[in-house]
Amino acid sequence: MLFEGLMNAMQWQVILMIIIGSVIGISIGSLPGLTAVMGVALILPVTFGMDPVAGILLLVGVYFGAVYGGSLTAILINTPGTPSSAATAIDGFALTKKGYAHKALTISTLSSTIGGILSVIVLIIIAPQMASFALKFSAPESFALAVFGLSIISSIAGKTLIKGLIAGALGLMVATIGLDPIAGFARFTGGNENLINGIDLVPVMIGLFAASEAFTSIGDLFSAKRAKVVIEKTKLKWEEFRMLILTILRSAGIGTFIGMIPGAGGDITAFVAYNEAKRFSKDKRQFGEGDLKGIAAPEAANNSVTGGAMIPLLTLGIPGDAVTAVLLGALMVQGIQPGPMLFETNGSIVYTLFVGMLIANMIILLFGLMGIRLFTKILLIPKSVLMPIILVLCTVGAFAINNNFFDVIVMLIAGIIGYFMKRYEFPVSPVILGFILGPMLESNFSRSLVLSQGDYSIFFTRPITLVLLSLAFLTLFAPLLKRKVIKLKEDYI
Amino acid sequence: MNFLSNYFYFFCLGVLLLVVGCSGEESTSASKEGVSSFPEKPVTLIVPSAAGGGTDATARALADATEDHLGESIGVENKEGGSGAIGMTQGANATPDGYTVSMVFVELTMLNHLGMSELTSDQFKPLGLVNLDPAALTVSADAPYDTVEEFIKYAEEHPGEVKVGNAGTGSIWHIAAESLAKETGIKLNHVPFEGAAPAVTSLMGGHVDAVTVSPAEVLPQVEAGDLKTLGVMSKDRSNIMEDVPTFEEEGVDVTPVGTWRGLVVPKDTPDEVAGKLEDAFLKGAEEEEFTEFMKNNGLGLEIKSSDEFQQFMNKESEFYGEIISDLDLGSNE
Repeated sequence: MLFEGLMNAMQWQVILMIIIGSVIGISIGSLPGLTAVMGVALILPVTFGMDPVAGILLLVGVYFGAVYGGSLTAILINTPGTPSSAATAIDGFALTKKGYAHKALTISTLSSTIGGILSVIVLIIIAPQMASFALKFSAPESFALAVFGLSIISSIAGKTLIKGLIAGALGLMVATIGLDPIAGFARFTGGNENLINGIDLVPVMIGLFAASEAFTSIGDLFSAKRAKVVIEKTKLKWEEFRMLILTILRSAGIGTFIGMIPGAGGDITAFVAYNEAKRFSKDKRQFGEGDLKGIAAPEAANNSVTGGAMIPLLTLGIPGDAVTAVLLGALMVQGIQPGPMLFETNGSIVYTLFVGMLIANMIILLFGLMGIRLFTKILLIPKSVLMPIILVLCTVGAFAINNNFFDVIVMLIAGIIGYFMKRYEFPVSPVILGFILGPMLESNFSRSLVLSQGDYSIFFTRPITLVLLSLAFLTLFAPLLKRKVIKLKEDYI
Repeated sequence: MNFLSNYFYFFCLGVLLLVVGCSGEESTSASKEGVSSFPEKPVTLIVPSAAGGGTDATARALADATEDHLGESIGVENKEGGSGAIGMTQGANATPDGYTVSMVFVELTMLNHLGMSELTSDQFKPLGLVNLDPAALTVSADAPYDTVEEFIKYAEEHPGEVKVGNAGTGSIWHIAAESLAKETGIKLNHVPFEGAAPAVTSLMGGHVDAVTVSPAEVLPQVEAGDLKTLGVMSKDRSNIMEDVPTFEEEGVDVTPVGTWRGLVVPKDTPDEVAGKLEDAFLKGAEEEEFTEFMKNNGLGLEIKSSDEFQQFMNKESEFYGEIISDLDLGSNE
């Protein structure tokens, strides 16, 4: 079957479609405001007239490329192109500021493609078994995953935990605006119809990361404090890469796993992988200041989500996130009904898709490594030219999400808030994390209690829920406990 | 090196000009003058439910079949949540220029009675109806009941313990389960999800005991032998599950409950524009690729013109107003 798939995928039309898709994907992903979902949705109509395999693989190329492309700008100019890359910006941009952009991009490219390829291999080998495990995730498990996600604030908070928690709480509060996810009542909208649907994540993210960065740079232009741009030509050494292998493997595992859980996507995954890389690292001081693992972990994880998300889609006919939902539509239009019967009715197409996914990752590796020299040139553009361009892209990106000018205002307000947060050393990533996890936390909490008819024991009598909640507790309080223990030891000595 | 940085500078400038150029074009065509030349830019179709469910699939297939008749592309946008209130409210509040069309479903005629939204069908101008599907009672394949009657007997013996997943509080599938419980005198535990797809996922995982969604939404899983459908809540059997009896055949008398899907634009959309859209969508609904899609996915094809759809919605609204106050769901606060 796999061999037949290989033969089918090795046609020049198919390969060409994957190449075109990946290049479009990388470009779309790297622009702030254009996410993987939008990219796939934009290209979708083009595929209707195509041969099913070529059409679907074009979309797969766009999807994979966009997830990778989002990290380029996260690393280079602290502007995550997609929410999945928000975690990469933390250490990626720190490395760029130190002059190691070249090395950071190399690690990002290698980790991304290794993560992507591993997840596709998991998809090929044990998709049905993995899918049945994914079904064990019910409301309490999703709630626990969201709590665990929030606990990650303690590892991305930067210098002070309190400031990180305040930022996270801000994200959670903003996420409550809009209709109640369970009962459907409008909350905190102040009668403004633009707020009925809640605030969109993307304008907030663009504002907090990109616009605030532009504002800060503009401030720097007028003060004497002008940072000198350095691009060290240091290549990634084999020794350094070897140290990352374990992190990449772990993160790919986390990514594939979370990717297949319905309702959780690349954004949460990247933060979880970052947190775990830090937990397992012996020297945690470099995290946030430019640790290579801080790039390898989220990058391997957010790209391995791609294969993971395909698992419930292809084996159960259930889309786990927005991108796979668009892909489901694409498959159905082509007359392919994903689901338990897919492997029997359309086996050869499925294996051709698998091979195509592997090829898409190889192509991204090739283009990524070839493009690094070109991508880093963006740093040579004077800030006085680059920053206005970024602001224009922010505005266009925010508008493009819903073709609504209100989102541009949201982006600008978020930018101003982000500017002051950066100025007073509040980390911005926890806001995004709280914002993403808020709705997931709330609706699954209510749903769990409906399932248990109001019995709170549902949160600690289920094994997966218990493990996740314990992990969350550990993550949040471990740094505090450790400090206590060290202090006690010092007292005794 | 200098050459390269110059090159990049111009490249960025080029991208910028392109972006500005594109956005300029959009803003001119959005002006009100272009009624007769409608459509001049892609049309957005708001789908008020999660991607992957029956409504989403129908919208995407219809959009695809309609594009040729409209002469512009149609982009589907999912706005799920609040039993569809989020997406439909956005659709009702969209600029009435015809560039935002909404797919609406039966919930539109229910939300107001449920006290969940100010939204009523009067806020829209209907374009046409394309689909009608009944509720079907589906359970896990290894459940201890094989018929509707056995299910009801089990629920009578275990009052309040049987968890029935629905597509959101006050959604049609919630009403279906509520009306089933009310009319047979059983007690069920109703669990809301954000659409039918997550409810079916939960049934697959054994977290709920039954769902009352349409046959199409469970068909792949039923065919694979993971789930079984006990009965459909309609007058006639479903054409995709011909061996599944209706509730009436099983001797359980319940009011037929089902969903329908149609297309609307905001009330103030010019008639000329609405007429063009109605033409395009109804032609699209008759395209072979769409009827094939409906058949392949087990969706009931039912085409009504703008006027018929208006009358149908009025009747439905009256009908659900009665059911909801009977079931005492209107006090849902």
